[in-house]
Amino acid sequence: EDARLPPPQNISILSTNMRHFLTWSPVTIQGETVRYSVEFQGEYEREYANESWIPIGECSLITATVCNITEDISATVAYSLRVRADGGARRSEWGTLKGFFNRNTTSLTPPLMKVTADGYHLLVELEDMGPAFQFCVLYWKKGEESRMQQKMVKEVSSTVHLDTMEAGREYCVKAQTYVDTINRSSSFSQAQCVRAQGDRSVWL
Amino acid sequence: SEIRSSFTAIKANIQARDPVRTLSILSHPHSLHRVQSSDKCCIIHKVFNFYVDKVFKHCQTEDTYVNRKISSIANSFLSIKRNLEQCHIQNKCLCGQESTEKFKQILANYEGLNVTSAAMKSLGELDILLDWVEKSR
Repeated sequence: EDARLPPPQNISILSTNMRHFLTWSPVTIQGETVRYSVEFQGEYEREYANESWIPIGECSLITATVCNITEDISATVAYSLRVRADGGARRSEWGTLKGFFNRNTTSLTPPLMKVTADGYHLLVELEDMGPAFQFCVLYWKKGEESRMQQKMVKEVSSTVHLDTMEAGREYCVKAQTYVDTINRSSSFSQAQCVRAQGDRSVWL
Repeated sequence: SEIRSSFTAIKANIQARDPVRTLSILSHPHSLHRVQSSDKCCIIHKVFNFYVDKVFKHCQTEDTYVNRKISSIANSFLSIKRNLEQCHIQNKCLCGQESTEKFKQILANYEGLNVTSAAMKSLGELDILLDWVEKSR
């Protein structure tokens, strides 16, 4: 009987909004629980530390086939990742991710936001996506798209006050995320429009 | 801020390993804060190279969590070092007399200790460096 387990296959990264997960296909053995261990290697380790690998404690001898590597992918350099299987008394060779992973390839989605009119005040609440994220918010009077205004929101702690609105006018808002550490932005969210209180009086 | 949070997570552990409390690598005999602004880019470039080339590789510990954080810091330093190299190539990071002397002093302080003690002490002084770099922005 072959003493070694086959290495995990289909090793890949799922990375969205700066949260990175390593996934792989399960290794199956009749009647045995298979456990997996994950290690990473940054560009520093490859070039300055004898190509050493570093184990991820939270993903040592786990039964799941996914590992959250976000905390360890904390620099904008190329990382290698590998995973191996242990089952019964048997152990596999390392299965290594094809190519490298750099967090600047993460996919960025537009932020969730809620736009409200509080009397004459145009307010927006933005999704808290973590410390790496800033937001570019654009807002305008409906029909006056050419006179868009912009506000950069560096920290999402509470509702953001955008503008004081004209009575009865409709205002629209859209937003995108910006991640400074990788110098990239998401696409813009759908515009949301609200109407200020009061009716639009016509000045003669 | 990522470097700062990684360092904060292991600072007590690293500084507890520093046996020589009466010496400083970065601040002896003069603090970094005395460096003129014209020389700051050069000092930052040289010191980041120093950490990447000499310090981190001698900071292995028996604690895998600490090792992971050191890796985070080292890879972030490597990324910044690359960016600084661009400045250097474009002559925007020139080294004057003072920065050359200051960096020589840092190396002398480092080489005055055995390599592991010197590396751990240097790593433990990262907050001195980060405070100074942030103040220099």
